[in-house]
Amino acid sequence: MKKEKIIFAFVIFPFLLFPANLKHFRFEKAKKPNPPISQQKTKPINKNQTLSSKLEHITPTQDPVKPKSSLSEQELESLITDRRVQKIREIHSVFSDRSRPDRGRKQRPDFSRPQIRSINEGRPFRLKGEQYVQDQVLVKFKPTLSDPMVEVTIAAYRSKKLKRIPRLNIYQLQIPEGTTVEEMLHVLSRNPDVEYVEPNYRAHITVTPNDILFSEQYALYNSGQEFGPAGSPQQGQSRADIKAREAWVETKGDEDIIIAIVDSGVDMDHPDINDKIQSNGRDFVNDDFDATDDLFHGTHVAGIAAAETNNEEGIAGVAWNCKILPVKVIDDTGWGDYANIIDGIRWAADNGADVINLSVGGDVFSLSLQEAVKYAYDNNIVVVCAAGNDGGSVLYPAAYEDYCLAVAATDYDDLRVSWSNYGPEVDVAAPGDQIISLVPTWYWGPDSLPYAYGDGTSMAAPHVSGLAALIKGLKPTLSVDDIMYIIRYSADDVNSTNYLGEDEFIGYGRINMEKALVPIIITTKKITILKKLLLDD
Amino acid sequence: MKKIYLPFLIILMTLTITCLSSAQLQEEEGLFQNISIKPGISYEYFSRTISWDEDEYTSKLKSYFFTFNTEFEIPNGLSLALIFGYSFTNYDELEFRELPISLELGVGKIGGYLLGSEIRKSFVSNEDLVIDGQAQFFVYLGSKEEWEIPGLSVEGTTEGKSSWMRFSVGPVFTYKGFAPIYPYLYLGFNKLWGKFKMDQTIQDLTGSEDKKISGESSFSTSLGFNFIVTEALSFKAEGNFMPYKDGVDLGFMIKAMYSF
Repeated sequence: MKKEKIIFAFVIFPFLLFPANLKHFRFEKAKKPNPPISQQKTKPINKNQTLSSKLEHITPTQDPVKPKSSLSEQELESLITDRRVQKIREIHSVFSDRSRPDRGRKQRPDFSRPQIRSINEGRPFRLKGEQYVQDQVLVKFKPTLSDPMVEVTIAAYRSKKLKRIPRLNIYQLQIPEGTTVEEMLHVLSRNPDVEYVEPNYRAHITVTPNDILFSEQYALYNSGQEFGPAGSPQQGQSRADIKAREAWVETKGDEDIIIAIVDSGVDMDHPDINDKIQSNGRDFVNDDFDATDDLFHGTHVAGIAAAETNNEEGIAGVAWNCKILPVKVIDDTGWGDYANIIDGIRWAADNGADVINLSVGGDVFSLSLQEAVKYAYDNNIVVVCAAGNDGGSVLYPAAYEDYCLAVAATDYDDLRVSWSNYGPEVDVAAPGDQIISLVPTWYWGPDSLPYAYGDGTSMAAPHVSGLAALIKGLKPTLSVDDIMYIIRYSADDVNSTNYLGEDEFIGYGRINMEKALVPIIITTKKITILKKLLLDD
Repeated sequence: MKKIYLPFLIILMTLTITCLSSAQLQEEEGLFQNISIKPGISYEYFSRTISWDEDEYTSKLKSYFFTFNTEFEIPNGLSLALIFGYSFTNYDELEFRELPISLELGVGKIGGYLLGSEIRKSFVSNEDLVIDGQAQFFVYLGSKEEWEIPGLSVEGTTEGKSSWMRFSVGPVFTYKGFAPIYPYLYLGFNKLWGKFKMDQTIQDLTGSEDKKISGESSFSTSLGFNFIVTEALSFKAEGNFMPYKDGVDLGFMIKAMYSF
């Protein structure tokens, strides 16, 4: 009992999940210029470090700005302006042609807010129709076959040439009536003069939101584009992303699905999320019902999960239409005690949350915390937790593997980030390196857009929470276990070269929203053991 | 499924027994020589637009079937045919969104047995024109198949079993002026419905979906002809058009019959 009291006496530090390499969030000394991003290195925290030394690493101890403090507006304004990070200022300069008046600390920026239009009259696009054109095939003949002979060959198959694609020498053929594409493929493939033949497949649309910073969100769609702070852009591997665009064709989420962000609160005035807030939430730090963020962490996390999307502004959230329920359990220094977190989880579960995002964690096992996570789980709520960022073992509550999903972090090359915690409890991974999202409107001051890049499993977890919310909205009858299995089994095993199958670094793999949501086309019969043996022989 | 088939099977059996009993009576009365038995083979293809999930989605059902038919021609213009065969049915693009991991069929043809029956009765007959009433019923029982689910981080399979039924009834107008070729027009109420049960197993994740399908069209027009080659041998060919709100579904059938 005494031991438990001591454990309870320990405060935890969610900033561990928002680690030392939080280059864009770290509060800088006023006179110390921010180094270029390329020079900034990840600083994994040594496991043997003391709690206080970790704290030095991650908390803004030297920053005097505390929005709920007694400082005057003018003093705050001045301090905030001083600590603006140059790189972010450069990002903002891209949009500097927008005329925006000076603002007070929590004054909303003067973004032009065009009327939000709804794609496809608010309904998700559905893929319908044939996968390929039913009376056509594409054929490439061997280069040795002369053009007249190609014509003769086409005529011999009673087919009609519709088009020859220049340079590539691919012929689009209309097959004879009464013949199926499959039959034609079979017949043509046996012709020695044919290099290859295939159906004339049909492509389908994907959904690209019009949010102006969407191209910075490699996590959602990575075409190999440049992204990142100006002056130190990054370029990732094409399609090292969670396939959000493809998944949004199937669903953009249900307005009735609520993602609780149990964190430092959410800036409910932020123009890119204010319409998505379910209620003012609950503040367990100050014991009131106004879970306004006076740090930045919760706002950043909430934006990743469900920022207002397709509003020609800011970023896109994973779950376009889902709502955010802010629950404040972390104070403005980045600390929170287990009691508040436990109460926060309980409150979220009792107040309509369908998914709970916990980008917080501590080193110490606690029965009470486990019970709170189990309470949510028993209430059919998907609990998504960040694994931690010190390159060590998985933090709590992420380590309560029976009741939640523990999320590790990958980067823009689909590689596990070195600081991402690991262990058998890790279920899946999601991008957590250089993730752009919201910061409170007061954070950078009046001349800067309220967005910033952040690193950490804190940033990876809300991608998974967004996906869980989309699944829950699309298939409301599924159990919490089913949703967790879907997220695990639909993941891409991106480190299979070194660790085939489930492993302790990224679990089942980096999440894949398309496979989790869009119907997978099945084409192959299961090969029985007998057939396998025959084939082997 | 059995509940759906049963009434039709009972009807068919009753009709068969009735007809055969009738034949038996006639035989006893010395009329058996008037009954002719025509075995035959046929090949049929049809493509039907089907809707599912409360008509929210549509796709195509394509079926090819080979059948053996035995037609009993009973005096007074009544004939009954019993049909047995094998069919390949293609349900590609049918989607299962209620499964934990949604699936879309792209497996091609699925084999299965086909049972059917046809009843025909003449109502009007003169020198040039015969008007018959015709009813047809087919049941396709697809074999159980198991497929792999590609692209998952663990092995997963799904098992499907399908069936469909088709019922048509309507008048047949046969023109006798071009003997030995007898062209005809068949206007029918034509309904197709069925179900596809899919069971998914991906380690601990299991799910099942029972999908009901129904044909978009409920009316068909068939144009065909009977070619009486000899007294014993005849051929039949038919093209079907089934209009629905967004287009026309097509089908055709060829048949060869031999009379005893």
